[in-house]
Amino acid sequence: MSQHDRGIDRRSALKASAALGAAAMTGFPMIARGQGRQPIKIGMPTILSGRVAQLGVSSRNAVMMEVEKFNAAGGLDGRPIEVIVRDSRGVPAEAARIAREMITSDRVDLLFDGEPSSGGFAVHEVVRETGTLTLHLNSETSSLTADPRQRFWNAFRVARQGIHDSIAGGAYAAEIVKARNLTRWMTVSPDYAYGRDTTAEFLEYLKAFAPNVQVIGETWPRLFQPDYTENVTRLTQGRPQAIYSCLWAGDLVTFVEQASLYGLFNQSQFFGVNMADYTTLQQIKQLPRGVHSGNRYLKTFPPVPGNLAFAEDYNRRYQTYPTNWAWQSATAVHLITEALKKVGGTDPRALANALKGLTIDSPFGADGKVTMRAEDQTLVGYAIGWGTTISADPFVENMTAADWTTIFRHEQEWKRSKGWA
Amino acid sequence: MRTTLSWRGDMLVAALAFAALAVPAFALGMQSVLDFAVRFAIFGLLAMSLNLLIGTTGLVSFGHAAFFGSGAYAFGLLMQSGGWSVPMAILAAMAFTALLALVIGALCVRLSEIYFAFLTLAFQMLIHSIVISWVSLTGGDQGLMGGVPKPPFLGIDLGDGRHLAMFSAFCLLASVVALRQIVRSPFGAALRMLRDNPERAAFLGMSIFRYRLAAFVIAGTFAGLAGVLMSLYVSGAFPTFLYWTTSGEAIFMIMLGGITVFLGPLVGTAIFLVLNDRITNITEHHGLVMGSILLVLVLGLRKGLLDYIVDAWRERREKRA
Repeated sequence: MSQHDRGIDRRSALKASAALGAAAMTGFPMIARGQGRQPIKIGMPTILSGRVAQLGVSSRNAVMMEVEKFNAAGGLDGRPIEVIVRDSRGVPAEAARIAREMITSDRVDLLFDGEPSSGGFAVHEVVRETGTLTLHLNSETSSLTADPRQRFWNAFRVARQGIHDSIAGGAYAAEIVKARNLTRWMTVSPDYAYGRDTTAEFLEYLKAFAPNVQVIGETWPRLFQPDYTENVTRLTQGRPQAIYSCLWAGDLVTFVEQASLYGLFNQSQFFGVNMADYTTLQQIKQLPRGVHSGNRYLKTFPPVPGNLAFAEDYNRRYQTYPTNWAWQSATAVHLITEALKKVGGTDPRALANALKGLTIDSPFGADGKVTMRAEDQTLVGYAIGWGTTISADPFVENMTAADWTTIFRHEQEWKRSKGWA
Repeated sequence: MRTTLSWRGDMLVAALAFAALAVPAFALGMQSVLDFAVRFAIFGLLAMSLNLLIGTTGLVSFGHAAFFGSGAYAFGLLMQSGGWSVPMAILAAMAFTALLALVIGALCVRLSEIYFAFLTLAFQMLIHSIVISWVSLTGGDQGLMGGVPKPPFLGIDLGDGRHLAMFSAFCLLASVVALRQIVRSPFGAALRMLRDNPERAAFLGMSIFRYRLAAFVIAGTFAGLAGVLMSLYVSGAFPTFLYWTTSGEAIFMIMLGGITVFLGPLVGTAIFLVLNDRITNITEHHGLVMGSILLVLVLGLRKGLLDYIVDAWRERREKRA
């Protein structure tokens, strides 16, 4: 667990940010008249305890960091942003309850939903009814925004999306397949909806880009399984030329360490879509060389000063590196503050209209910008890339950026095949 | 004559309680009260129904959430299929859980004590696994998504927070009145005899199996109604609804409030929910704080709160007499 965040609990962080905001305001006579004005309240249900606490902690860290900057710069005509973060413990019904309570009792102006997909859908249903402007920070399940039945005016996704990753991963892997003639594939992914869907999507695009690929076996470890001997044995016995996995965080760490002992990474090329994230890279004691990894978050990719500065600033405050959830949360703050400035108030309809199609400069963009796509209210244009691991910092090298024109084309076809476009 | 009188008395108390909630809800528009009312109704009903088994019949079921979750999924799926009105879907969902309870109960109630507890737990985990793996119907571990439509009926629009709160309160109060009548009826007396001395009941010619099964089905049906309200509240259904932790929470609520006094589980529910909400608002070490408080309460009182109060009151009265 992360001891560093114990030092600052939510209340003191809130007080500190409020104090900072107040101090900043008095320092600027131009906006001092805004002092008495009400803060803009943002409610944030997320997971702060248990096995995936890192998700909520790093999301909160990034939100607080960026909100402080906004408040220090004077807020919205003197109105600072105040964030209320509460722990759902990963229980969807609790996430729904907390969201509802924030809306009705705390009277928040908008929600940052920091839940992963399960809780995210529960919050989604709450705000479908209440009409509260909501930004989903951590839901990667494609259907949340791609399925028109799930879509309504006040919900936006500021997160990467499963289908984008699958297309980008498939395209990258197909290049390696062609170069090294890797036709025999196996998969090892967690046995639940995310694992099965993501693996099926990746294989679909891999075969689309490299039709000669054959899947000769699959193994499905349980979520949070402590021992992967059985799965590793199946993989070594199958002697595939390449292996795909969407295991993540702690599960991926355990798997990689156990698989290293059996020499799996010398025998087969390994493609881990969730590998390149500091929660994983820094945890693995002996990171094998040459593992193909998708980027979750890397301070060196995209290789721009803004991204490195974000990582360093975050590291100074929290003594750890940002996660995928951190860049997504920071982007949510960037987008909403831009929309607030455009609208000049917190009217949800006006803010939603401002967010639709909004393009902002971003250190996390593939070409320096990210866009909130108007048509399905989801983030596009963020940097996706694949590279190979090395054992020390910066952990991943030879990053190849994914091409968004390819992603858009295949995403559109995928939507059509689902009857969603 | 006596039963009709007590029936009327119960109705009167229930009507007064309903009015007491309706006034702040509609006159003052207190949102936080409404939110709490819905959740209190949901978990209160779950705990009350479980106490028909634990307190009255002496059967400790660890699998009660199976019916809670089944009610939620059945209702959610019916509403999503379209063509069902809310009251019809509620009745159908309750009928479904009653049927499920009949099947599971027929296999479980022949056993008692620890064997009964573990068999109910096993069935619950079985149903949980089915819900997790039947992705095309239930949405698997992501839950039943896409929202639960709530077409208005009889001027009641459950999409409106106030209507939902009043409707939940109505369901709770109606169920509590019904449960109280059941507990006080000859049938209830028979259940208590089964709890205290099953051999004697058998010698008197009563079918232990049938009485226990009836209690099991009634408890399951009311838990199903609680599940329906939950599904209305979160506009979906999730596998955690029928996980053992939900059963555990219901047992905890009963232990907190008291098992021998009829309204004990409701008091326990109120304590549990207030603690839960306050704790999530002030700390992220939820389990640690909640666990410590509950430990102190349980060790300090050694019985449910209402049990403790009623016992203390009786003792004082006896001393005076």
